[in-house]
Amino acid sequence: MSTTLTALIADDEPLARALLRDYLRSHPDIAIVGEADNGLQAVKEIGRLNPDLVFLDIQMPKLSGLEVLEATQRRSGVIFTTAFDAHALKAFDLHAVDYLLKPFSPTRFDEALRKARALCGEAQPSVDALLADNSQRLSRVLIREREQVHVLPVDTIDYVEAQDDYIRIHAGQRAHLKTQRLSDLEARLDPASFVRVHRSYLINLACLVGLERNGSDGYVACLRNGQRIPVSRSGYERLRQVM
Amino acid sequence: MHPMLASLRGLISYSALASLVGALLACLLWLTGAGSLPAATLFALPFSLCFGLVVLSAYHVCRSLPFAGHAAFNAVAVRGGACLVAAVLGLLLGLGWNEASQAMMHSGPALELAPSWRVALALASGTAYLLSILAHEMHAAALAAREATDRAQQARLLARDTELQLLRTQIDPHFLFNSLNAISALTRLDLPAAQAMIVDLAEFFRHTSLVATQAAIPLADELALCTHYLRIEQHRFGPKLQVDMQIADAARPAMVPPLCLQPLLENALKHGIRQLDDGGTLQLEALLRDGWLHLAVRNPVDATATSALPGNGQGLRNLRERLASLYGNRARLAWQQHDGHFTVELALPFEEATRS
Repeated sequence: MSTTLTALIADDEPLARALLRDYLRSHPDIAIVGEADNGLQAVKEIGRLNPDLVFLDIQMPKLSGLEVLEATQRRSGVIFTTAFDAHALKAFDLHAVDYLLKPFSPTRFDEALRKARALCGEAQPSVDALLADNSQRLSRVLIREREQVHVLPVDTIDYVEAQDDYIRIHAGQRAHLKTQRLSDLEARLDPASFVRVHRSYLINLACLVGLERNGSDGYVACLRNGQRIPVSRSGYERLRQVM
Repeated sequence: MHPMLASLRGLISYSALASLVGALLACLLWLTGAGSLPAATLFALPFSLCFGLVVLSAYHVCRSLPFAGHAAFNAVAVRGGACLVAAVLGLLLGLGWNEASQAMMHSGPALELAPSWRVALALASGTAYLLSILAHEMHAAALAAREATDRAQQARLLARDTELQLLRTQIDPHFLFNSLNAISALTRLDLPAAQAMIVDLAEFFRHTSLVATQAAIPLADELALCTHYLRIEQHRFGPKLQVDMQIADAARPAMVPPLCLQPLLENALKHGIRQLDDGGTLQLEALLRDGWLHLAVRNPVDATATSALPGNGQGLRNLRERLASLYGNRARLAWQQHDGHFTVELALPFEEATRS
């Protein structure tokens, strides 16, 4: 019945990783195949090793535990660990996602492992819900480009354009593609800074330098970098409310 | 009593000013042919000195009836009325004094105060009083403004003191729980190291709560606190954290504000070394030069990081304000990012503990 499960440990503190290794010694059916000490490395290792289980610290340098999940699209076989994060943990409790509070006892650890084993392989909708939780405002956007993960601070975004199933994020000289709906991104951004001016366009208000009439019932938003973005009537109303 | 008349200097200023006005009035009277210069002077000088007191009395009117919203109309009406009274008083005083001086100086010719002069005298009296009211109001407003800024400043200092108390007694949960987790790991892997770390943790919290109530502590004590802190962090992060402390012996007895260094080290780790794949060396330096204590904290930073300031710089700004309130402009706090390193420099006047 018990096949060997592969596991990856992601935590930036060597002693925290050592403790997990030590706890796992009493579970011979779990083989540790890799370790990561920051979020970016975790993304790389998860992609490379595709482990059955990931022990994921919520606070790590480079990318947080949740950002690692977003970047890898992984939804199953995750055990979260954290020392303290009252703010984020509320969302975890809300969506019934299990986590280990450091320092945790071997008993507590075994219990979390048991739960994770039972769910192994199945996607956890609760994790999906956690990641989609709109209560946390985004301060940066993650973009996966082949093996690379780009971290884009939200205030560097000029505007976002929707194209079929994905969006094109324009920041400075570059444009990034991301598989996400424009309305999803819109919900995670601060409405006082980002306005949906059109069904297919979202702009950063800081980049707006002018608004012109265009024809009988349309408007055009002029951006700092010279771009002209169409503005629908409802988009115009939204702009007026914010400004 | 008008504040101007309360001091000798004020009295002298008043007399000088009133005399000047009197002299001018005398000249005007003489030039317009109201009388001879001696007669004009005899009239104008005493008149000016006396009526000046009436003008000064505007102070009491202004003070007793401040402009307060609904009572504003009253305040204006009373002041207006007072001007009129002053005008009449000036005229009566002038005429009366003219008659009296005429009676006193049997030989001297009297001043011919034509109707035009009477009107002028009344108007001038009223205007002088009005100007006095305005001057007093402006002065009161300036005083009130200064008081308001002082109060605001006091409130800010108080708030910062409270924040400081909180800083000193608060235990950072991240730090605490991660450290306990590390100790938990060490109990299974390296018992002597676990015991050492427990002692370091206890000593660190003991020190921080001890200095919570002190205004200044010797640098040696702050460094002891920092050493415990850094040893704990070195347990947690292993070889990624290297520490290099260069402390001049002469600097150790210098009195410093408690927790002026430890938060800087925290910043250096959280925003600097922790973000680097291979970690780095945290440098701490203290030396004396020309009666000044110089402290410096230096750490490598991620060159690609978007922000130079650790955590938007609020902690550094708070420290700067704290130093300003303790040392005025004799303390200096500066920070800069250069060549892949972030450096914070502190300069304080060197003071040793006073013997009790």
